[in-house]
Amino acid sequence: MSALEIQNIRKSYGAIETLKGIDIALQSGEFLVLLGSSGCGKSTLLNIIAGLAEATSGDIRIGDRSILGVHPKDRDIAMVFQSYALYPNLSVRRNIGFGLEMRKVPVAERDKAVQEAARLLQIEALLDRKPNQLSGGQRQRVAIGRALVRKPQVFLFDEPLSNLDAKLRLEMRTELKRLHQMLRTTVVYVTHDQIEAMTLATRIAVMKDGRIEQLGTPEEIYNRPATLYVAGFVGAPPMNILDVTVRGGALEVAGSDVAIPLPARYAAIGDGARLSLGIRPEALRLATENVAGLSLPATVEVVELTGPELITTARIGGQKLIACLAPRARISEGENHRFAFDEEALRLFDPKTGKACEVSS
Amino acid sequence: MSGSWMTTRAWLLMLPLLVVMISVIGWPLVDTVRLSFTDAKLVGTQGNFVGFDNYAKMLSGSNFQRTLITTTWFAVISVAAEMVLGVLAALLLNQQFRGRALLRALMILPWALPTVVNATLWRLIYNPEYGALNAALTQIGLLEAYRSWLGEPNTALTALIVADCWKNFPLVALIALAALQAVPRDITAASLVDGAGPINRFRFVILPYLAGPLMVALVLRTIEAFKVFDIIWVMTRGGPANSTRTLSILVYQEAFSFQRAGSGASLALIVTLLVTVLAVAYAALVRKVAGSTA
Repeated sequence: MSALEIQNIRKSYGAIETLKGIDIALQSGEFLVLLGSSGCGKSTLLNIIAGLAEATSGDIRIGDRSILGVHPKDRDIAMVFQSYALYPNLSVRRNIGFGLEMRKVPVAERDKAVQEAARLLQIEALLDRKPNQLSGGQRQRVAIGRALVRKPQVFLFDEPLSNLDAKLRLEMRTELKRLHQMLRTTVVYVTHDQIEAMTLATRIAVMKDGRIEQLGTPEEIYNRPATLYVAGFVGAPPMNILDVTVRGGALEVAGSDVAIPLPARYAAIGDGARLSLGIRPEALRLATENVAGLSLPATVEVVELTGPELITTARIGGQKLIACLAPRARISEGENHRFAFDEEALRLFDPKTGKACEVSS
Repeated sequence: MSGSWMTTRAWLLMLPLLVVMISVIGWPLVDTVRLSFTDAKLVGTQGNFVGFDNYAKMLSGSNFQRTLITTTWFAVISVAAEMVLGVLAALLLNQQFRGRALLRALMILPWALPTVVNATLWRLIYNPEYGALNAALTQIGLLEAYRSWLGEPNTALTALIVADCWKNFPLVALIALAALQAVPRDITAASLVDGAGPINRFRFVILPYLAGPLMVALVLRTIEAFKVFDIIWVMTRGGPANSTRTLSILVYQEAFSFQRAGSGASLALIVTLLVTVLAVAYAALVRKVAGSTA
């Protein structure tokens, strides 16, 4: 039995369908991140799980019961919002205990739960303040505390870190990871930030236009993207996509005379097929003279040092190739270099369907 | 350009307005104060200086005390009812439903009508011979015979309060509706997930955003209700048996019906003072409420 099961959920607003059949089953303790750009339907899906919006069809089950039509308060969920959504005229203590207060939990028990949550989140000193006396990070801790004390079956997070500055976001991300490791509650977390998704998730559902493009572990999403969209969305800079043609057991890079051998796992692909070759910028390195293996020759156009890495933009037959190199790589604009990579790092996609090519085992 | 020239120019630009204000507000006010210390009649004598006699006479007279009670009753009941009705209407009009925009526009109508028109409409409704209220109540069996709602001392004031509420609750509703737009959707959603019912949601989610604007509506409406004149003058002229006579009506009667300009002026200043006290007290309250929800 799954902790949370989303079955063929559809949602339409008039003629516009924003969710086109979503299926996800989560085991207890999983951390699912719904990742996608704005308008992809991820927040709508979260609101449907919370009961703040109604699905047009499909079912959602928590444990062994369907929760469609059940009031949000009776779904055994707790939610954390992007805007923190604290009650402005209540103290931090009452904000955290609000859900318990509404459920008529005795004062002593409520106080104990609030204290415990405050201790976990290190906000014990703030309990008697009002929300307007707190910083953004403190407010989000209170909002998380309010969800924690309820001890729900499922936590829902709606872009909880988006309103924080970069440094705080990093801190809170680690904090959330620590809390999840400690509490092991099932989490559904909505974000458009791929780093948050990669670091927090046990599984990521990349969404686009109301559909799931790929559901998988962060490692799968990053290393084996199922579609060109996922390949382009996850990773910064995104995966390089080069137009290639299969000819005589080799991949010819369009607009150049460069050809690399077709990996054995793609041997089933017929001659003449026009494909998209995907390779992560991080998988490229500067080739040295005496090392054999796959490499692509390219002319360097721009070199940007970010600190930890040197982002190199080069051209190969008119197509762009970005490589994330070690900061000390000796490379300058205008030079020709060979960029080496392992065969394992290479992915092929069908540009017509956008899907990854089948791999023969 | 020098600073002093800027100042001179500013005064020059304000001069027309100053002239108008001094002649229509400043001078009459000063003259009212002068009049209030005399026994002047409206026509004829300039009057002699009588010190605080007018004030003493007015404040100790039973007319003033009874009228003050009537005015306070009118103001408290009608404003309270307007606040409750206004907030309820705003909460309803804040829901999603078909025809909401039309209803929002229609709601403004009673408030947008001139008071005289509103008062005349209600006189028709209350008419003892062919009024709609009598007809409706007898037809549904709540009333045996037609009554003169505005002609009986024990119903006239209530009938006036109803008419005043009808006219003024849309203003409160409008202010409340605007305030409701400021309630963040996320907080409402959070309260749903937290399990707050409609009453707790109103108390903890909506009221904090409503309190400040409602306080402003309360101040405005109380001051206006305390000074009420037109709706009463058109509907009952303070009668029957002075049961609907408010302070402004009393001032009018004293100064114009009985032509006692001196005592009328003193009464007018007493009313002004009372309203000023109310305004200052409320202003302090507004600052306090605004401070606590900021």
